[in-house]
Amino acid sequence: MGKASLKVSGGKMINTKVELRNGSIISVQFTGDFFLHPEELIEVIESSLFGKRLGEDDLAQTIDHVLQEHNAQLIGASAHDFARVIMEASQ
Amino acid sequence: MKWRVIPLKTHDAATAMALDEAASEAVRVGGPPTIRFYRWLPSAVSIGYFQSMENEVDLDACRRFGVDQVRRRTGGGTVYHDHDGEITYSVIAPESFFSKDIIASYNLICGWIVDAFSQLGISAEFQPINDIVTLGKKISGNAQTRRGKVLLQHGTILYDLDVKRMFSVLKVTEEKISDKMIADVEDRVTCVRRVSNATRDETYQALWEAFTKDKDFYKGEWTEKELAYAEELAETKYSTREWNFQR
Repeated sequence: MGKASLKVSGGKMINTKVELRNGSIISVQFTGDFFLHPEELIEVIESSLFGKRLGEDDLAQTIDHVLQEHNAQLIGASAHDFARVIMEASQ
Repeated sequence: MKWRVIPLKTHDAATAMALDEAASEAVRVGGPPTIRFYRWLPSAVSIGYFQSMENEVDLDACRRFGVDQVRRRTGGGTVYHDHDGEITYSVIAPESFFSKDIIASYNLICGWIVDAFSQLGISAEFQPINDIVTLGKKISGNAQTRRGKVLLQHGTILYDLDVKRMFSVLKVTEEKISDKMIADVEDRVTCVRRVSNATRDETYQALWEAFTKDKDFYKGEWTEKELAYAEELAETKYSTREWNFQR
Protein backbone atom coordinates (compact mmCIF):
# COMPACT_ATOMS: atom_id res chain seq x y z
CA MET A 1 0.00 0.00 0.00
CA GLY A 2 1.53 3.32 -1.07
CA LYS A 3 0.55 6.68 0.29
CA ALA A 4 1.26 10.22 -0.88
CA SER A 5 -0.01 13.75 -0.43
CA LEU A 6 0.07 16.70 -2.73
CA LYS A 7 -0.76 20.29 -1.91
CA VAL A 8 -1.80 21.75 -5.25
CA SER A 9 -0.23 25.14 -5.79
CA GLY A 10 -3.00 27.71 -5.38
CA GLY A 11 -5.37 24.83 -4.75
CA LYS A 12 -6.22 22.08 -2.32
CA MET A 13 -4.73 19.04 -0.67
CA ILE A 14 -5.02 15.57 -2.20
CA ASN A 15 -4.04 12.45 -0.27
CA THR A 16 -4.07 9.03 -1.81
CA LYS A 17 -3.70 5.40 -0.82
CA VAL A 18 -2.87 3.10 -3.70
CA GLU A 19 -2.55 -0.66 -3.89
CA LEU A 20 -0.83 -2.23 -6.88
CA ARG A 21 -0.50 -5.76 -8.20
CA ASN A 22 1.90 -6.51 -11.03
CA GLY A 23 2.13 -2.82 -11.88
CA SER A 24 -1.64 -2.30 -12.08
CA ILE A 25 -3.88 -0.45 -9.67
CA ILE A 26 -6.13 -2.74 -7.66
CA SER A 27 -7.40 -0.09 -5.28
CA VAL A 28 -7.11 3.64 -4.89
CA GLN A 29 -8.71 6.10 -2.52
CA PHE A 30 -8.52 9.88 -2.56
CA THR A 31 -9.11 12.11 0.42
CA GLY A 32 -8.55 15.83 0.86
CA ASP A 33 -10.11 19.26 0.99
CA PHE A 34 -10.74 19.63 -2.74
CA PHE A 35 -14.19 20.13 -4.24
CA LEU A 36 -15.87 17.86 -6.76
CA HIS A 37 -19.37 18.45 -8.08
CA PRO A 38 -21.13 16.04 -7.91
CA GLU A 39 -19.35 14.67 -4.85
CA GLU A 40 -20.43 11.05 -5.29
CA LEU A 41 -18.42 10.87 -8.51
CA ILE A 42 -15.26 10.35 -6.48
CA GLU A 43 -16.19 6.68 -6.17
CA VAL A 44 -16.68 6.38 -9.93
CA ILE A 45 -13.28 8.01 -10.45
CA GLU A 46 -11.68 5.59 -8.01
CA SER A 47 -13.23 2.52 -9.64
CA SER A 48 -12.36 3.79 -13.13
CA LEU A 49 -8.70 3.42 -12.16
CA PHE A 50 -9.03 -0.25 -11.26
CA GLY A 51 -6.76 -2.37 -13.44
CA LYS A 52 -5.00 0.64 -14.98
CA ARG A 53 -1.26 0.54 -15.37
CA LEU A 54 0.87 3.33 -13.98
CA GLY A 55 1.44 6.29 -16.24
CA GLU A 56 0.65 9.86 -15.31
CA ASP A 57 -0.82 10.94 -18.63
CA ASP A 58 -2.96 7.82 -19.07
CA LEU A 59 -4.30 8.01 -15.51
CA ALA A 60 -5.08 11.71 -15.93
CA GLN A 61 -6.88 10.93 -19.18
CA THR A 62 -8.99 8.24 -17.49
CA ILE A 63 -9.99 10.66 -14.71
CA ASP A 64 -10.68 13.45 -17.20
CA HIS A 65 -12.87 11.12 -19.21
CA VAL A 66 -15.02 10.34 -16.14
CA LEU A 67 -15.27 14.05 -15.31
CA GLN A 68 -16.35 14.96 -18.82
CA GLU A 69 -18.75 12.06 -19.14
CA HIS A 70 -20.57 13.23 -16.00
CA ASN A 71 -20.24 16.93 -16.72
CA ALA A 72 -18.44 17.19 -13.38
CA GLN A 73 -16.35 20.00 -11.98
CA LEU A 74 -13.21 19.49 -9.98
CA ILE A 75 -12.16 22.58 -8.02
CA GLY A 76 -8.84 23.15 -6.33
CA ALA A 77 -7.15 20.26 -8.14
CA SER A 78 -6.98 18.81 -11.66
CA ALA A 79 -7.15 15.32 -13.12
CA HIS A 80 -3.39 15.61 -13.62
CA ASP A 81 -2.88 16.41 -9.92
CA PHE A 82 -4.78 13.24 -9.02
CA ALA A 83 -2.64 11.23 -11.45
CA ARG A 84 0.54 12.79 -10.09
CA VAL A 85 -0.27 11.86 -6.51
CA ILE A 86 -0.97 8.26 -7.57
CA MET A 87 2.43 8.12 -9.27
CA GLU A 88 4.07 9.49 -6.15
CA ALA A 89 2.30 6.97 -3.91
CA SER A 90 3.38 4.15 -6.20
CA GLN A 91 7.10 4.81 -5.93
CA MET B 1 -39.96 34.10 -4.77
CA LYS B 2 -39.42 35.49 -1.28
CA TRP B 3 -36.43 34.36 0.71
CA ARG B 4 -37.08 32.80 4.09
CA VAL B 5 -34.50 33.90 6.64
CA ILE B 6 -34.28 31.77 9.77
CA PRO B 7 -32.84 33.63 12.77
CA LEU B 8 -29.86 32.37 14.75
CA LYS B 9 -30.41 28.99 16.38
CA THR B 10 -28.22 26.50 18.19
CA HIS B 11 -27.89 22.86 17.13
CA ASP B 12 -25.77 19.81 17.67
CA ALA B 13 -23.54 18.88 14.74
CA ALA B 14 -25.70 16.12 13.24
CA THR B 15 -28.85 18.28 13.38
CA ALA B 16 -27.05 21.31 11.96
CA MET B 17 -26.02 19.32 8.89
CA ALA B 18 -29.32 17.46 8.66
CA LEU B 19 -31.22 20.77 8.53
CA ASP B 20 -29.14 21.88 5.54
CA GLU B 21 -30.09 18.71 3.72
CA ALA B 22 -33.75 18.97 4.75
CA ALA B 23 -33.87 22.58 3.51
CA SER B 24 -32.20 21.53 0.25
CA GLU B 25 -34.86 18.88 -0.24
CA ALA B 26 -37.58 21.45 0.52
CA VAL B 27 -36.13 23.83 -2.10
CA ARG B 28 -35.89 20.98 -4.60
CA VAL B 29 -39.64 20.41 -4.39
CA GLY B 30 -40.52 24.10 -4.60
CA GLY B 31 -40.00 25.44 -1.07
CA PRO B 32 -38.64 28.92 -0.39
CA PRO B 33 -34.97 29.79 -0.88
CA THR B 34 -33.58 29.90 2.61
CA ILE B 35 -30.89 31.70 4.57
CA ARG B 36 -30.19 30.45 8.06
CA PHE B 37 -27.81 31.37 10.87
CA TYR B 38 -26.73 28.96 13.58
CA ARG B 39 -24.24 28.05 16.27
CA TRP B 40 -23.02 24.64 17.37
CA LEU B 41 -23.62 23.11 20.79
CA PRO B 42 -21.60 21.22 21.79
CA SER B 43 -18.67 22.74 19.90
CA ALA B 44 -17.87 20.48 16.97
CA VAL B 45 -15.43 19.64 14.22
CA SER B 46 -16.80 19.27 10.72
CA ILE B 47 -14.83 17.63 7.95
CA GLY B 48 -15.28 17.96 4.20
CA TYR B 49 -17.02 15.26 2.17
CA PHE B 50 -13.72 13.89 0.85
CA GLN B 51 -11.80 14.01 4.10
CA SER B 52 -10.96 11.18 6.43
CA MET B 53 -12.18 11.69 10.00
CA GLU B 54 -9.28 9.66 11.36
CA ASN B 55 -6.70 11.67 9.42
CA GLU B 56 -8.13 15.09 10.21
CA VAL B 57 -9.50 14.89 13.72
CA ASP B 58 -7.91 14.00 17.04
CA LEU B 59 -10.77 11.86 18.30
CA ASP B 60 -9.30 11.37 21.77
CA ALA B 61 -9.00 15.13 22.23
CA CYS B 62 -12.60 15.54 21.03
CA ARG B 63 -13.78 13.06 23.64
CA ARG B 64 -11.77 14.81 26.34
CA PHE B 65 -13.18 18.22 25.52
CA GLY B 66 -16.71 17.03 24.63
CA VAL B 67 -16.32 18.15 21.03
CA ASP B 68 -18.69 16.58 18.50
CA GLN B 69 -17.70 15.47 14.99
CA VAL B 70 -19.58 15.39 11.71
CA ARG B 71 -18.81 14.95 8.04
CA ARG B 72 -20.38 17.54 5.74
CA ARG B 73 -22.05 16.95 2.40
CA THR B 74 -19.81 19.70 1.00
CA GLY B 75 -16.14 19.38 0.08
CA GLY B 76 -13.47 21.59 1.58
CA GLY B 77 -11.50 21.36 4.76
CA THR B 78 -11.80 20.70 8.45
CA VAL B 79 -13.45 23.35 10.59
CA TYR B 80 -13.59 23.70 14.34
CA HIS B 81 -16.96 25.21 15.22
CA ASP B 82 -16.52 26.68 18.67
CA HIS B 83 -19.87 27.39 20.32
CA ASP B 84 -18.73 30.81 21.49
CA GLY B 85 -16.30 31.53 18.69
CA GLU B 86 -18.27 31.60 15.48
CA ILE B 87 -21.49 32.19 13.62
CA THR B 88 -22.40 29.79 10.83
CA TYR B 89 -24.72 30.50 7.91
CA SER B 90 -26.28 28.47 5.12
CA VAL B 91 -27.76 29.66 1.85
CA ILE B 92 -30.05 27.12 0.18
CA ALA B 93 -31.64 28.13 -3.11
CA PRO B 94 -32.32 26.94 -6.65
CA GLU B 95 -29.07 26.70 -8.57
CA SER B 96 -30.64 28.94 -11.23
CA PHE B 97 -30.43 31.92 -8.82
CA PHE B 98 -26.65 31.84 -9.18
CA SER B 99 -23.97 31.76 -11.82
CA LYS B 100 -23.06 28.39 -13.30
CA ASP B 101 -19.49 29.40 -12.54
CA ILE B 102 -18.94 28.02 -9.05
CA ILE B 103 -16.22 30.49 -8.06
CA ALA B 104 -18.44 33.38 -9.23
CA SER B 105 -21.24 32.11 -6.98
CA TYR B 106 -18.82 31.84 -4.04
CA ASN B 107 -17.77 35.38 -4.79
CA LEU B 108 -21.39 36.57 -4.76
CA ILE B 109 -22.38 34.95 -1.45
CA CYS B 110 -19.03 35.70 0.18
CA GLY B 111 -19.60 39.28 -0.94
CA TRP B 112 -22.50 39.45 1.53
CA ILE B 113 -20.09 38.45 4.30
CA VAL B 114 -17.53 40.98 3.10
CA ASP B 115 -20.31 43.63 3.25
CA ALA B 116 -21.15 42.58 6.81
CA PHE B 117 -17.48 42.90 7.78
CA SER B 118 -17.39 46.29 6.12
CA GLN B 119 -20.33 47.42 8.32
CA LEU B 120 -18.21 46.40 11.31
CA GLY B 121 -15.28 48.41 10.02
CA ILE B 122 -13.35 45.32 8.92
CA SER B 123 -11.80 45.45 5.50
CA ALA B 124 -11.99 41.93 4.08
CA GLU B 125 -11.98 40.30 0.68
CA PHE B 126 -12.99 37.07 -0.98
CA GLN B 127 -9.96 34.90 -1.66
CA PRO B 128 -10.72 32.10 -4.12
CA ILE B 129 -11.41 29.31 -3.84
CA ASN B 130 -13.55 29.60 -0.74
CA ASP B 131 -12.04 31.88 1.90
CA ILE B 132 -12.51 35.41 3.14
CA VAL B 133 -9.40 37.12 4.43
CA THR B 134 -8.59 40.30 6.28
CA LEU B 135 -5.03 41.58 6.53
CA GLY B 136 -3.89 38.35 4.92
CA LYS B 137 -5.55 36.14 7.52
CA LYS B 138 -8.54 33.88 7.09
CA ILE B 139 -11.63 35.06 8.92
CA SER B 140 -14.28 33.00 7.13
CA GLY B 141 -14.33 29.63 5.36
CA ASN B 142 -17.09 28.51 3.03
CA ALA B 143 -18.15 25.40 1.14
CA GLN B 144 -20.68 24.76 -1.57
CA THR B 145 -22.50 21.84 -3.14
CA ARG B 146 -25.04 21.65 -5.92
CA ARG B 147 -27.35 18.67 -6.03
CA GLY B 148 -30.75 18.21 -7.63
CA LYS B 149 -30.50 21.74 -9.08
CA VAL B 150 -30.23 23.17 -5.56
CA LEU B 151 -27.26 25.16 -4.35
CA LEU B 152 -26.19 24.88 -0.75
CA GLN B 153 -23.43 27.08 0.54
CA HIS B 154 -22.55 27.12 4.18
CA GLY B 155 -19.72 28.80 5.95
CA THR B 156 -18.34 30.06 9.18
CA ILE B 157 -17.59 33.55 10.39
CA LEU B 158 -14.94 33.46 13.07
CA TYR B 159 -15.91 35.69 15.94
CA ASP B 160 -13.46 34.58 18.59
CA LEU B 161 -10.54 32.24 18.38
CA ASP B 162 -9.19 29.72 20.80
CA VAL B 163 -6.29 28.56 18.65
CA LYS B 164 -5.02 26.20 21.29
CA ARG B 165 -8.36 24.41 21.51
CA MET B 166 -8.83 24.51 17.73
CA PHE B 167 -5.52 22.83 17.01
CA SER B 168 -5.88 20.43 19.90
CA VAL B 169 -8.82 18.78 18.14
CA LEU B 170 -7.46 19.02 14.58
CA LYS B 171 -4.57 17.16 13.06
CA VAL B 172 -2.84 19.91 11.11
CA THR B 173 -0.64 18.55 8.36
CA GLU B 174 2.89 19.83 7.99
CA GLU B 175 2.56 20.12 4.21
CA LYS B 176 -0.31 22.51 4.44
CA ILE B 177 1.43 24.77 6.89
CA SER B 178 4.72 24.81 5.04
CA ASP B 179 2.99 25.51 1.74
CA LYS B 180 1.60 28.70 3.15
CA MET B 181 5.14 29.44 4.35
CA ILE B 182 3.90 30.34 7.75
CA ALA B 183 5.21 28.40 10.65
CA ASP B 184 2.89 29.77 13.25
CA VAL B 185 -0.70 28.70 12.74
CA GLU B 186 -1.96 31.74 14.60
CA ASP B 187 -0.62 33.84 11.76
CA ARG B 188 -2.99 32.20 9.28
CA VAL B 189 -6.30 32.76 11.00
CA THR B 190 -7.95 35.68 12.71
CA CYS B 191 -11.41 36.57 14.04
CA VAL B 192 -13.75 39.51 14.45
CA ARG B 193 -12.69 40.12 18.03
CA ARG B 194 -9.06 40.50 17.06
CA VAL B 195 -9.71 43.09 14.36
CA SER B 196 -12.72 44.97 15.69
CA ASN B 197 -14.63 45.92 18.84
CA ALA B 198 -17.88 44.46 17.55
CA THR B 199 -19.80 42.16 19.86
CA ARG B 200 -21.07 38.81 18.63
CA ASP B 201 -24.59 40.21 18.52
CA GLU B 202 -23.43 43.17 16.43
CA THR B 203 -21.64 40.74 14.12
CA TYR B 204 -24.82 38.72 13.73
CA GLN B 205 -26.88 41.87 13.09
CA ALA B 206 -24.39 42.96 10.42
CA LEU B 207 -24.64 39.53 8.78
CA TRP B 208 -28.43 39.66 8.87
CA GLU B 209 -28.41 43.12 7.25
CA ALA B 210 -25.91 42.15 4.58
CA PHE B 211 -27.53 38.81 3.70
CA THR B 212 -31.02 40.32 3.40
CA LYS B 213 -30.05 43.59 1.66
CA ASP B 214 -31.98 44.11 -1.59
CA LYS B 215 -33.84 40.83 -1.10
CA ASP B 216 -37.55 40.26 -0.83
CA PHE B 217 -37.57 38.22 2.37
CA TYR B 218 -39.47 37.25 5.48
CA LYS B 219 -38.31 36.12 8.88
CA GLY B 220 -39.29 32.48 8.92
CA GLU B 221 -39.09 29.20 10.74
CA TRP B 222 -38.59 25.56 9.84
CA THR B 223 -41.67 23.64 8.76
CA GLU B 224 -42.78 20.58 10.69
CA LYS B 225 -41.91 18.50 7.65
CA GLU B 226 -38.35 19.86 7.49
CA LEU B 227 -37.84 19.31 11.20
CA ALA B 228 -39.10 15.73 10.99
CA TYR B 229 -36.90 14.97 7.99
CA ALA B 230 -33.88 16.62 9.66
CA GLU B 231 -34.44 14.56 12.79
CA GLU B 232 -34.51 11.41 10.67
CA LEU B 233 -31.34 12.43 8.77
CA ALA B 234 -29.51 13.35 11.97
CA GLU B 235 -30.23 9.91 13.35
CA THR B 236 -29.80 7.74 10.26
CA LYS B 237 -26.99 9.63 8.51
CA TYR B 238 -25.10 12.46 10.20
CA SER B 239 -24.60 10.76 13.54
CA THR B 240 -23.62 7.39 12.08
CA ARG B 241 -20.15 5.94 11.84
CA GLU B 242 -21.00 4.77 8.34
CA TRP B 243 -21.35 8.37 7.11
CA ASN B 244 -18.82 10.16 9.27
CA PHE B 245 -16.01 7.66 8.77
CA GLN B 246 -16.81 6.77 5.17
CA ARG B 247 -13.44 7.89 3.75
